[in-house]
Amino acid sequence: MRCAAGIVLVGTLAFAETASSAAVGDPRDSNAGDVSYDGRLAFVRLRYELTWGSRGEPPWAHDYPTADRHLMKILDELSLVDPHTEDSNIFTLDDPELFKFPMAYMSEPGFWTLNDGEAKGFRDYMKKGGFVIFDDFRGFHLENFRTQLDRVLPGARLVELDGTHPIFHSFFEIDSPEGFLPPYERNLTPVFYGVFEDNDPAKRLMLIANYNNDLGEYWEFSDTGYMPVDLSNEAYKYGVNYFIYGLTH
Amino acid sequence: MFESLFAFFFKYRPFIFQQGEFRLSSSSSINIAIAATAIAALFTILTYRSIRGHTRLVDRAALTVLRLGTLAVILFCLFRPVLILRAAVPQQNFLGVLFDDSRSMRVGDQDGQPRSAFVNSAFGPESSVLKALSDRYALRYFRFSSSTDRVGAARDLTFSGTQSRIGDALQRAREEFAGLPLAGLVVVSDGADTSEAAIDESLLALRAGQVPVFTVGVGRETLGRDIQISRVSTPRSVLKGSNLEVDVIVTHSGFSGNTVPLNVEDSGRILSTQQVVLPGDGEPATARVHFSATEPGARVLRFRVPPQDGEEIPQNNVREVLLEVIDRREKILYFEGEPRFEVKFIRRAVAEDKNLQLVVLQRTAENKYMRLEVDNPDELAAGFPKTRDELFPYRGLILGSIEASAFTGDQLRMIADFADRRGGGLMMIGGRRAFSEGGYQGTPIADALPVVLDSKAPEGTLMRLKVRPTPAGMGHAVTQIGKTERESADRWGELPEVTTVNPLRQVKPGATTLLMGTDETRREQVVLASQRYGRGKVLAFSVQDSQIWQMHAQIPVEDMTHETYWRQLMRWLVDSVPDPVELTTAPDRVEPGERVTLTADISDASYVEVNDASVTASVTGPSGNAIDVPMQWTGERNGEYRGTFAPTEEGIYRTRIEASKPGTTLGTATGHVRAAPSDSEYFDAAMRAPLLRRIAQDTGGRFYTSQTYTSLPEDVKYTGRGVTTIEERDLWDMPALLMLLLALVLGEWSYRRVRHLA
Repeated sequence: MRCAAGIVLVGTLAFAETASSAAVGDPRDSNAGDVSYDGRLAFVRLRYELTWGSRGEPPWAHDYPTADRHLMKILDELSLVDPHTEDSNIFTLDDPELFKFPMAYMSEPGFWTLNDGEAKGFRDYMKKGGFVIFDDFRGFHLENFRTQLDRVLPGARLVELDGTHPIFHSFFEIDSPEGFLPPYERNLTPVFYGVFEDNDPAKRLMLIANYNNDLGEYWEFSDTGYMPVDLSNEAYKYGVNYFIYGLTH
Repeated sequence: MFESLFAFFFKYRPFIFQQGEFRLSSSSSINIAIAATAIAALFTILTYRSIRGHTRLVDRAALTVLRLGTLAVILFCLFRPVLILRAAVPQQNFLGVLFDDSRSMRVGDQDGQPRSAFVNSAFGPESSVLKALSDRYALRYFRFSSSTDRVGAARDLTFSGTQSRIGDALQRAREEFAGLPLAGLVVVSDGADTSEAAIDESLLALRAGQVPVFTVGVGRETLGRDIQISRVSTPRSVLKGSNLEVDVIVTHSGFSGNTVPLNVEDSGRILSTQQVVLPGDGEPATARVHFSATEPGARVLRFRVPPQDGEEIPQNNVREVLLEVIDRREKILYFEGEPRFEVKFIRRAVAEDKNLQLVVLQRTAENKYMRLEVDNPDELAAGFPKTRDELFPYRGLILGSIEASAFTGDQLRMIADFADRRGGGLMMIGGRRAFSEGGYQGTPIADALPVVLDSKAPEGTLMRLKVRPTPAGMGHAVTQIGKTERESADRWGELPEVTTVNPLRQVKPGATTLLMGTDETRREQVVLASQRYGRGKVLAFSVQDSQIWQMHAQIPVEDMTHETYWRQLMRWLVDSVPDPVELTTAPDRVEPGERVTLTADISDASYVEVNDASVTASVTGPSGNAIDVPMQWTGERNGEYRGTFAPTEEGIYRTRIEASKPGTTLGTATGHVRAAPSDSEYFDAAMRAPLLRRIAQDTGGRFYTSQTYTSLPEDVKYTGRGVTTIEERDLWDMPALLMLLLALVLGEWSYRRVRHLA
């Protein structure tokens, strides 16, 4: 309860700060990297080319930059992680700078495509130890996600993760992740997919994919009242857990 | 040559003069002649004084001196100089002859023949030397190698002994002759003593008993063509999978400039090969070989140079070493104060190492922890250990970015004791809550660290470092990341920059810096340093993001540098960390029948020595037979227990000890000993003249070579030991005196002729 109240309080604070700060560039125009590497954690959003047309804002920029900042602020407040809270980075999949930040986030992989160079870069990133969060895709988007992932990690098998996996207990205790309500299309059942190194569940988890879900939406609007507080809190729990896990596993 | 000349001029050899006493032995009739000579001398002086004419003072003085010199020589002869010698009475004394019966006597460097051939010839039944000795003495023969026994004659020698214990042989012979008139001892040997005990005690006893030892050196002092593995320095035990770096000393004669292969073999499998360039004759070459210990158990490693053409002793081209390869998981506790990527990548680097268990206590928030790789749900459930019993079971401790105030005073002291008293490996790694930035100045941990902690750095301090190994780090087990030192240095040069937030500029005296870094302003920074601290070791690693060496875009996916570095670092951290119960065996190689000493160091779980434990050792031989060896507290040192046993068959013996107190098992330990015939005879097998000379000189004897030994019988006769009689040897008829006389007479005549004097 104390944690949940803390999340709401921080979310309010985050809104106050966000309202007063200027927007960080136009994500549709640039590959703006705001954070120079200094050894600290920074939120990294992955940019990609579209596989098919979408509404005005590019899908990879969905919820940017608010969701990124909100999550980092919550992480900073609740844990001993020392992340950059105001700034974040946007990298393409073959950007050498990406490799300095071993955790990254991709929004709407249903629209995701990549060239051979990006496939290799992304593959190297994950094989060397990078951990990726895929978020905000549903229904038939899964096929595109699988197709592109297969270009990056041929033969990678998507495994459904349940409440027994350590990622759901790395900070908060989430015993039944399948019960999490997505912000939209609540008739769909959220599934948390993972890919393990060499497809071996005893080895490292390389990515987590929030299928039929959209955690970023919760993070973005947590300070507006647009989303229910308790669900926003839950979404933050997942986010914090993902980062704590990604930093330690 | 010198002796021959001396004997020609002075009638007898120098040794005879040393043994004798000079005396003037004149009789009453001689005294009359002496008086007459004195009168003649007086007359000479008076005569030359009164002569004038065309002689100068110098002429008269010279002639006076020459004449007086002549008279002095005559007078000297008239005084009858004699050399008084104490000669052994024939057959009234004993003489011990000790033959070296060891394998080194088979070396074929005695004029192209084995050394044993000289012994059989020089001291065989047809030998004139032996006949001369046996005419005067009652001879007793001994053979010696690992033990000393009586033999009938030289023909009974087998030259198969695996060791040479000259000191023991002399002592045995001396005891054999106790109470008997002993003229001396003769030792026929190459002097290649292989016993570890000093010979001083034996020599002291012989000197006190006035027993001279005559040594006959057999063989050459320098071998013609030979390569020898002189020394191999390996640890007694290593963790399975460790990469070893072993220095091998190779000596040679006759192969200058040659390149020879040095192989490391385990059960017939070659682990490593290194080409060794041999320097000048007599100069040792040090070869550093690298190999991995992948097979567990007691391994007999062979370090071998294949025999080269013309080598005199091929048997010394191989050294065997017993190495215990321990297959267990070394448990290390890593306490990290903030979630960061360094934790993930360090874990990942050592995850595949089956012999390392990295237990992580990760602080994620205030009073909130994540535990990884624990053995059971209770381990570290209450956070960082609060007692020694909880902490000391770990063999290594790593402190991440965790501030000093996170510990109580007792815990800080306990962490320092972890290295100091427990003997564990302690390491602090860089981060915003580490070193001075973590408030460690003035704490017991600061005392333990190998670096000097200055004042805290300003907020926002960040240095980007290009890291390189120091000279000490070039070939170090931790920091050598290539197959050779050159490759390793090149690889370090290729690695990308990393960062630190902890300025560390200075190491403490006695600490070793293994890695240095240069920042953007070209200032130097200590990156990795270590020091011994009490029984353990402490390291400081100032980098906060070594994962860059794994993740950086320029690092290939398959590159293992980051993993190699961390595995080597962690293995070294826990290398030689003691257990509460430790066992050492001395020596680790013996011959069947030789005793082995088992020494156990017993402590409790807090590593406090225990003197009242019950310690039992079970020794299992190669054929599976087991014996129990009782072990008792020595009383010399806290916690030290000792027992001995003697292997009876060849092979590897496994010893297991268990220590306990009523109601508590303190722990167990195992060790191995190898029983095999000694090969020490083949090493340093050249004739050791200095040792043989020393034995002779210290006891009043004499050293001979195969060229000079024929004078042995006469020299032994005049030692003055045992039952002796007095001999007088006239010296007046020495050729030197005659020649001096002639020289003086001729000198005076020549002077007169030259000076035109009458």
